Amino acid sequence: MDELMQILEELRPDVDFENETALITNGVLDSFDIVALVGELNDAFDIEIKPNNLVPENFNSAKAMMALIEELQDE
Amino acid sequence: METSILNRLNKTAAAYADKVMFRDETAEITFRDFNRLTKSVGTYLAQRVASGAPVAVMSGRHCLTPACFLGAVRAGCFYAPMDGDMPKARLNQILGVIKADYILVDKAHLETAQSLDYTGNIIVFEDICGTEPDEALLEARERTLQCTSPLYVIFTSGSTGVPKGVITSHQSLMTYIDAVAKVLDINDTDTMGNQSPLDYIAAVRDMYFPISFGASTYIIPKNEFAVPTTLFETLNREKITALCWSVAGVELPAKLGAFDVGKPEYLKKLCFSGSVMPCKYLKVWQEHLPDVLYVNQYGPTEATASCTYYVVKEKVTDDTVLPIGTAYDNYRVSLLSEDNQAVPVGEIGEICVSGPILALGYYGNPEQTAKSFMQNPLNDNYRELIYKTGDLGRFDADGVLHFHGRKDRQIKHLGHRIELGEIEETAKKVDGVSDCCSLYYKEKATLYLFYTGEATSKDIVLYFRQNMPAFMVPRKLINLEALPTLPNGKLDMQALKAYFK
Repeated sequence: MDELMQILEELRPDVDFENETALITNGVLDSFDIVALVGELNDAFDIEIKPNNLVPENFNSAKAMMALIEELQDE
Repeated sequence: METSILNRLNKTAAAYADKVMFRDETAEITFRDFNRLTKSVGTYLAQRVASGAPVAVMSGRHCLTPACFLGAVRAGCFYAPMDGDMPKARLNQILGVIKADYILVDKAHLETAQSLDYTGNIIVFEDICGTEPDEALLEARERTLQCTSPLYVIFTSGSTGVPKGVITSHQSLMTYIDAVAKVLDINDTDTMGNQSPLDYIAAVRDMYFPISFGASTYIIPKNEFAVPTTLFETLNREKITALCWSVAGVELPAKLGAFDVGKPEYLKKLCFSGSVMPCKYLKVWQEHLPDVLYVNQYGPTEATASCTYYVVKEKVTDDTVLPIGTAYDNYRVSLLSEDNQAVPVGEIGEICVSGPILALGYYGNPEQTAKSFMQNPLNDNYRELIYKTGDLGRFDADGVLHFHGRKDRQIKHLGHRIELGEIEETAKKVDGVSDCCSLYYKEKATLYLFYTGEATSKDIVLYFRQNMPAFMVPRKLINLEALPTLPNGKLDMQALKAYFK
């Protein structure tokens, strides 16, 4: 989780990732944030985020992203 | 000859009255209703604003926004679209340049408008959209327009730190729209899928193809691009036949593997522009959609969106570099050397444009206008203005133009045009930044800022987020003891590029 928070903090230091739960639904993160983020998460956690993972529910909060990462690491 | 874009709207509104003109996620509007709204807005404005005055418009990503724009035009005015999601400091800068007495907003942007340093009149679209049209007044206002009257002012990055407002006339817009429609074969059976923000130059096709030819446009929700899983489903549900997208928008679905789960079944034409297309992504589109017409477009806002096009006939590979092609109808493209001489075929020169598509200049900025729009140095006989793009190009033996980068420090990032000088001017305003240099790592599409001083990268990013559009916020910030210099004292950009990763 610390590693994820560090990546998010670096990507968008203006966003409160601890508490925000509608990052996509409310448009806090835009498409270019997501493209950058997917690349960084793939590298950092040695996973492969697939198109069908790219749904708002998986990226609306830091917690949801962590759950996705763990799910993909188990595969 | 047409005198204004209203000639076209009058015709299509009558011919396609019951057809849907614009649709978005939650609503749709027919040609008849759209026309009626422009008349209501136009009447309300005409009763208050002089013909030929600017009207600022701040309205969201929905199907009523184009009606706000054209409403201003019905009043004999021109519109200056503003993106309400931009930081307040930027919006204040734009209003400081355009100095409009009236700003038209949708209800959702009223609060933003009220929070600006704006002392003029704020009109809410929802409050005035029921105004009874005064046909006599509207007709009188329509007659005040000539084809050379300004239609809109769109703002773009300026190297001095203040955005420049590029003024486009009715004639320029119609000339461009007709030329690009001919290449793409756009007609009333087409449905466009709008990607570009509506306040941005790239949206003119999505708005003016319906107005000119009776096509329809679906305004794709912004979120579909953040999570593109459903993007193609949306294109299919809306039976989208034509897309005019930024290169960044075309890359996105290919990059994120959207073709693994589907493809746009109805698509016939795809036109892209804004930056150089990396062909490894275009290849993916071609493999899945071999029969689509692919068109590469090139050109600056100052020459009305685009000036050359190239129809992609070949099967591209990862390494293909597409030409930018040949000039659109009524555009003249030529090359000039550093000392303003003609450039022989096969050699590189600065791309210059002339024709009825030249912008009327930069709003309220005669110095910049005179510098960028000048008499063709090769013509001593009559008045012929050219716009020097700052882009470098080369004609091959077949007369096809190839792109060779920039002369100066302007870059294209995510489809947006940015002066690196403006990034630096902004960073220097942050407390604790002494010196800085901004560079663009093209391969990774990443904006870097190298700086000296006590400021943390968080301080700088927060300042940018509060003052600049999102695409102008540096992604990688590197704090140095001192910026590296060459023996002659100039910045050593190569040494800085070693930090790219």
